[in-house]
Amino acid sequence: MKPNGLSRELAGIVGEDGVLWRRDDLMLYEYDALSSMRQPDVVVFPRNTGNVVKIAKAAMRHNLPLVARGAGTGLSGGSVATEGGVLLVFSRMKQILEIDLENQRARVQPGVVNLDLSMAVADDGYYYAPDPSSQRACTIGGNVAENSGGPHTLAYGVTTNHVLALEIVLPDGEVIHTGARHWDRPGYDLTGMFVGSEGTLGIVTEITVRLSRKPEAVKTLLAIYSETADATRTVAAITARGITPAALEMMDGFCLRAVEEATHAGYPMDCAAVLLIEVEGLKESVEEHADEIEAVCRENRAREVRRAKSAEERDLLWKGRKTAFGALGRITPNYYVQDGVIPRTRLPEMLDFITALEKKYELHIGNIFHAGDGNLHPLILYDERNREQTAQVIKAAKEIITRCVEMGGSITGEHGVGLEKSDLMPLIFSENDLDLMRRIKDLFNPHGRLNPGKVLPTGKMCGELRGGLLGGGPV
Amino acid sequence: MTGALEAIRAEFAALPGAPEVLADHACAAFAVDGIVPGSVAAASTAEQVAALLACAGEHRLALIPLGNGTKRTTGNLPRRFDAALSLSKLNRLIHYEPGDLTITVEAGMQFGELQELVGRDGLWLPLDPRGGAKSTIGGIIAANAAGPLRQGFGGPRDMVLGLKIATTDGKIAKTGGRVVKNVAGYDLGKLLTGSFGTLGVIVETSLKLFTKPPARATFKIRAGTLTIARDLRGRLRRSPLDAMRLLLADRRACALLRGSPLEAMEEEFELWIEVSGSARVLQRCENELSKLASAAGARVEQVEKAAEPWERVSDLADWLQPKYPDITILKAALPSAVSEGFLTLAGQESIAAQITLASFAQVGVGIVHASLLQQTLGSGVAGLVLRLREVAASLGGTLIVEDCPLALKSQVDVWGARGDDLQAMRKLKSAWDPHEILSPGRFVGGI
Repeated sequence: MKPNGLSRELAGIVGEDGVLWRRDDLMLYEYDALSSMRQPDVVVFPRNTGNVVKIAKAAMRHNLPLVARGAGTGLSGGSVATEGGVLLVFSRMKQILEIDLENQRARVQPGVVNLDLSMAVADDGYYYAPDPSSQRACTIGGNVAENSGGPHTLAYGVTTNHVLALEIVLPDGEVIHTGARHWDRPGYDLTGMFVGSEGTLGIVTEITVRLSRKPEAVKTLLAIYSETADATRTVAAITARGITPAALEMMDGFCLRAVEEATHAGYPMDCAAVLLIEVEGLKESVEEHADEIEAVCRENRAREVRRAKSAEERDLLWKGRKTAFGALGRITPNYYVQDGVIPRTRLPEMLDFITALEKKYELHIGNIFHAGDGNLHPLILYDERNREQTAQVIKAAKEIITRCVEMGGSITGEHGVGLEKSDLMPLIFSENDLDLMRRIKDLFNPHGRLNPGKVLPTGKMCGELRGGLLGGGPV
Repeated sequence: MTGALEAIRAEFAALPGAPEVLADHACAAFAVDGIVPGSVAAASTAEQVAALLACAGEHRLALIPLGNGTKRTTGNLPRRFDAALSLSKLNRLIHYEPGDLTITVEAGMQFGELQELVGRDGLWLPLDPRGGAKSTIGGIIAANAAGPLRQGFGGPRDMVLGLKIATTDGKIAKTGGRVVKNVAGYDLGKLLTGSFGTLGVIVETSLKLFTKPPARATFKIRAGTLTIARDLRGRLRRSPLDAMRLLLADRRACALLRGSPLEAMEEEFELWIEVSGSARVLQRCENELSKLASAAGARVEQVEKAAEPWERVSDLADWLQPKYPDITILKAALPSAVSEGFLTLAGQESIAAQITLASFAQVGVGIVHASLLQQTLGSGVAGLVLRLREVAASLGGTLIVEDCPLALKSQVDVWGARGDDLQAMRKLKSAWDPHEILSPGRFVGGI
C-alpha cells in the first residue's frame, strides 16, 4: 500500500511522521466515546497554525471534508469523519503558550489537556474552572468545540464563560482573531458564537482563557438516601435556601455499586441514591453553608451525611463520580448515555418517568445527574449483540429526550449535538430558528466541508435519534 | 407631513396586530443623534415587531429599535434613520419559576420592574447596567451593559439563556432555551448580546437568576498614590476575598461621589470594595481588608448607605450631565493589570490637553470609565479622545466613546479599533440584514 497524492502533499507540510494513511493506522481514528463510525481518508498532526492553514488549503483543493479532533473523548460523535476526508488531530499542538497570572489569563494551543492547564497554575493558587469528567484526557480545543461543562459549572459556568479570545482558521485558510484578552472588545461576539459550534464554522488554533483563583476552603458532603425521591427533593430545597453549591451531583444506588466496586471510594453499597455536594469560598461561609446543607439533607430524610475529612477523601469521592461511566462499562457490554436537561424543579418527576421506562422496556437505567443544574445523564445498559434490546434502548432514549423537551428543557446540556442528535434539533428548534443557524453555517462553511453531518439536521430522518449509531449498525 | 411619510405611517398602523403609530409631536422623544425619526411605531407583541421589520424591509426604511433609550448615545451617526421601533410596551412576563432560578420576559420590561418581581422571592439579576432601573432588559442585552457587578457575577453575556428575535425578513426565531445548561445549536445569543440592535430585534429573553446575598457591605481604602492602589489590587487578587464590586476612583471621581465641588477634591484615590455574606463572613472580610490595607500603607473604612453612590457610578451620564452638559464618557477595556497604568497616562494626557478628567476604574475586570467634564465642548476633546485611544491600545486594550456631544461624533469614530475579524462581522450583518434596515452605520466598522 502506498500513500496517495494527498498524503504526500500533507507530508510535505508536516513531515512524514505527521501523517497517517494506512488502513490499520486509521482504525484508531474511526470512533469517539459515542460509537464507531467510518475512517477518515487521512489523519494529519499539525504543529502550528501555519500547518493548519496549509492543510485547510490542501483539503480545499482536493474538495475533501476537514474534521478537527482533540482526544476523541466526545460523546456525540463530534470528532469522527463521517464522510471521510482529512482528520486534523491536535495532539502535537499542546503547548501552553502564555500564563499571565496578574490578568488571570492563559493562552493555549487546542491540544492542551484540560487538567494539564489547571496543574500548570495550581502551585500559584489558580485553576481552569470547566471540569468535564474526562478532564484527564480531553483537550481544551475539544472543550471549546463542544462548549463542555462538568460538575463545577453549576457555580462557575461552562466553557464559553471562560473563553475570551480565539485564533481561527477558516476553511479557505484565512486566519482570524476573535475577542481579546480583555472584556468588551467592540464588535460582534464571534468568540461566543464559535464556542460550541462543534468544528463546523472554523478550526480553532489558539485559545485565550480565564484562570480562576482557588478558593480558601472547600467542603465536600456526601448525603446518603434510602429513597431516591428524597434526594431529588433535597436538590430543590438547597436552592430554595439561597445556597449555590459549587457542585451538586446525584448518583443512584445502581451506579454507586458499580462505582464502588471499581474505585473503592467509600460509597455506601446499600442505598438508593447519594448527593455529592461541594461548597467553596471563605472558610466561614463554607462552614455555614455546609451546616445548612447538612440540615436540609436531614430534613429531607437523608439517612446519613458524611463530610470528606481530607483532600484525599475528597479526591476519592470525585474520582468515583468522574469515572462512573467507565465503572459501568465494567458491568455491561454497552451503555448509551443521554445528556438531557430539565428545569431543576422537575427532577423528582423525571426520575419517576425514567423508572417507569425501565419497566416498560425491560432495561436497566443508571442515573447520574448534574442535579444542581438539571443536566441528566441516564445510562441505558444493553448488549449490542442483542438487536431487539438495542432497538428498545433507542426508543427509551428518545422518550427521555422528548420528555426533557416537554418539560421546557433541552436535548443536550454539555455533550453536544454532533452526529447523534442533529436530527433531533427540530424537537426544540423551528424551521426559522434552524434557518438562522444555517445562514451562519453557509457564511463560514459555505461548501459544508467542515465537519459534515454535525449539529444541523441532515433532513434524512428528522426527529430521530441516530439509532444506527448504537450497535455498530449503519448510520 | 409629507405624503410619503403619511403613507408609511398608515401602512404601519394597518400591519397585523395594528402596532400603535405615535403622533407627530411624540416623535421628538425618539431622536437619535439629533435626528427625529419620521415615524415611531410602538410594538406590544413580537408579531408586530416582525411585521414592522418586514414592512421596513420592503420599503428599505432604516429602523432604530429602542427600549427606553438609555443607551442610545452609544454609536456612530446613523447613515439613515426613517423610523424608530419602540419596544417599551413589549413588556410582559412570560414564564417564571423561582425554584428553577430562571425567568422569561419580553424585551421591553424595565430592569427595575424585573428586580422587584424576582426580589420578592429573594432572587436578583446581579447587574448594575448603565441606565439603571429604567433601562429595558432588551436594551441591556443589546448593549451587553455590565457595570461593576461584573466582578462578582459576570455580565449579561453570562446570564442570557435564550433569546427570541425578530429578523429583518419578518420572521421570529429563537436561540438557546430556558434551562441553565444547553449546548443545542449555535449560540446565537452571544452574537446578539452586544450587537446594539444591528442584526435582529430582541423581543424576548430567558435569564439566569441568582439568590440575593443575605447582607452586603462596602468598604473603602484610601490610597495616597496609584502605586499604592496598584499594590492594593495585587494584594486583593492574592487574598481569599471574593469581591462583588471593586472600583478605583481617582481624585476627581472621589469628589464627585461625595458630591463636593471639584475644587475641594480629595488628595487621595479610593478603592471601593463591596462584599457579601453572613455577619460572620462580613466581619472576616473587614479583618482581611484591614490587614491588606495596612500592609500597603493605607487604611480602610466602611461606607454607610453605599447603595446610592454605587447607583451613581453605574449611571454616570444621568448623574453628571446636568452639571456638565457637554460631558464625554469614554470606556477603556484593558487587561486588568494595566488599569492603574492607564489612569496615570490618561491623567497626564488630560493635563496636557487642559481638560478635566474624572475616572472610575473597575480594576478587577479592566474597565475604566473616563469622563471628560465639559460645560461646552472644547476644541481639544477630539484630539484627547484619540490620544487616550492610543494609550489604551499601547496597553493592549481598546477604547470607545460611550456618550458624547453630537458635534464630537463627526470628528471621531466612537468604536475605534477593528481587527482581522471585521470582514466576518460585515458578512454576518449582510446575511442577516441584507438591506441594512437596522441601525445602519451606527456599529463597528460602519456596520
